Amino acid sequence: MKIAVCVKQVPDSETRINLAAPAAKLDQTGFTRVLNPYDAYAVEEAVRIKEARGGEITAITVGPETVRETLKKDCLAVGCDKAIIINDPLLAGADDAAIADVLCAALKKDNYDLILFGIKAIDDDSGQVGILVAEKLGLPHVSTITKLELGEGTLTAHREIEGGKEIVDCPLPAVLTCQKGLNEPRLPSLPNIMKAGMKPMQIVTCADLGVTPPAALVEIRQYSPPPARGTCRLVTGDDAAAAARELARVLNEEAKVI
Amino acid sequence: MQLNENQSMIRQMARDFATAKVAPIAHAIDRDGTFPEATVREMGELGFLGLVVPEEYGGVGADITSYALVVEELSRACGSHGLTVAAHNSLGCWPIATFGTEEQKRKYLPPAAAGTSLLSFGLTEAGAGSDAGGTRTTAVRDGDFWVLNGSKMWITNSHYAGALIITAKTDPAATGSRGISAFIVETGTPGFTVEKKEDKLGMRASDTAPLTLVDVRVPHANLLGKEGEGFKYFMKTLDGGRISIAALALGLAEGAFAVARDYTKQREQFGKPIAEFQAVQFMLADMATQIAAARLLTYEACRLKDAGQDYAHMSAMAKLHTSETAMFVTDRAIQCLGGYGYTTEYPVERMYRDAKLCTIGEGTSEIQRLVIGRHALGL
Repeated sequence: MKIAVCVKQVPDSETRINLAAPAAKLDQTGFTRVLNPYDAYAVEEAVRIKEARGGEITAITVGPETVRETLKKDCLAVGCDKAIIINDPLLAGADDAAIADVLCAALKKDNYDLILFGIKAIDDDSGQVGILVAEKLGLPHVSTITKLELGEGTLTAHREIEGGKEIVDCPLPAVLTCQKGLNEPRLPSLPNIMKAGMKPMQIVTCADLGVTPPAALVEIRQYSPPPARGTCRLVTGDDAAAAARELARVLNEEAKVI
Repeated sequence: MQLNENQSMIRQMARDFATAKVAPIAHAIDRDGTFPEATVREMGELGFLGLVVPEEYGGVGADITSYALVVEELSRACGSHGLTVAAHNSLGCWPIATFGTEEQKRKYLPPAAAGTSLLSFGLTEAGAGSDAGGTRTTAVRDGDFWVLNGSKMWITNSHYAGALIITAKTDPAATGSRGISAFIVETGTPGFTVEKKEDKLGMRASDTAPLTLVDVRVPHANLLGKEGEGFKYFMKTLDGGRISIAALALGLAEGAFAVARDYTKQREQFGKPIAEFQAVQFMLADMATQIAAARLLTYEACRLKDAGQDYAHMSAMAKLHTSETAMFVTDRAIQCLGGYGYTTEYPVERMYRDAKLCTIGEGTSEIQRLVIGRHALGL
């Protein structure tokens, strides 16, 4: 079974963003970069499938050459067999549609039975690329999966819906986006980290893939800092009932929320 | 300090492990004095217990810098985890990998690297430690065997060890540091007893116990290196071990600093975060400066050892300065947190108790000064 896992390197969720005033660009110096946590579920699921039925896993990403370390540690050292980095200055400012186009070009170079994504990247929270890729490749897709069973040429996926779950059958090849709960990603062992450098890692441009990324349809015009948090007010009373009455009055008359 | 790609990945992975698996249990295992068997098993699977073991014997074959990075990251979350890994690698695996015969390496290193059998080092006695001349444990040749008698103290990992390196006097006529040999003793050997675990101030989840040896018969094949050369071997072993204690102390200091920094930014008094008061900023500045110096000394010792250069004085300096820094920083961190810092609700009091071990174990700060002084004077 041939599996592709499309991943993204994102700033660590503990990164402090220095943004005093609205700005068109974020100052990203000093950011620690890690594998998008949702992509780790996709990588882990691919490795479990490979361990159970054999196969080959290719990790694919779009990004600068500095993504090498993340690909080595969190994909190759965990069990992916090779990695492709699509690195091209043409992709500066690319939107989801353009990223999906170049990923499709890379995915078409091989015949994958299964293409896995994280449900979304934690930096832009967009969650569109996986589904765009499925549409552009004309493949079925199941999003937000929390359980996966493979049959012969088919799959059964559980996906989260409001207040319950949906069980979906789907033919292969297919595109899936992976949600928390699907599995518990393993850490790479130290020997595997040391050996990851021996696995093939290919750096390609858009021209190598024979694709011209379309002009961005979406432009980020401004990042704004969140509004300063208001001060906290403690509502007191002689007993719980009095405090509750006072709270209800404040919410009604002053905050005007009830 | 510039890390290469492997070192950077190893540090990040160790940090991820420490955050996910070690930090959540650090408080409870300290409180209860429980050895963390489950995380130690996981550390074996991930390679932490084979860091200094060459690949051909099932280890990682990492450089010393990577090894120190792992101990540092673990110790930011929990000193006991750092100590368990440091003692096993530096005092158990390293001497066998360095001075052992091919047969000894094949037998003892693979299970040690996998973590199925910890290794340990029995040097200290009631009257001997850094003063090796006081060694009272004896080994007498009997055909193909040596018969060991005596007792050891403060031996790390001993309840969980499959084998220990034990030093014993093999030449009763020799004086001072001469006539001492080192043996690999399997813990199941009749006459070998690991006594009750010590109840300690800090490092409470690390296993420390005395050993008793009564007519313990050890095959001659388990003599480590040459007869009578034991002193030389453990001096070299401690030179390397001190780097790992420096890394441990560095992690404790960094862990305590992070807690103090975050707390002082959030704790408000007199209408503003206390970090905005100069008195608090000066404390944090002194802590950060000491830590930066400690880090440079520690990784300079690693660099020298990795480059195959003389590192004994630098590892002693790193251990001295970093363990004293850990005492200073953990003390100041408690001060930053005030009453909260003195309670077990915050981890800094644990880090303070853990840090104290670093000024004592593998040679006290005073012994480090002797080593450094002799080097400075060319003695």
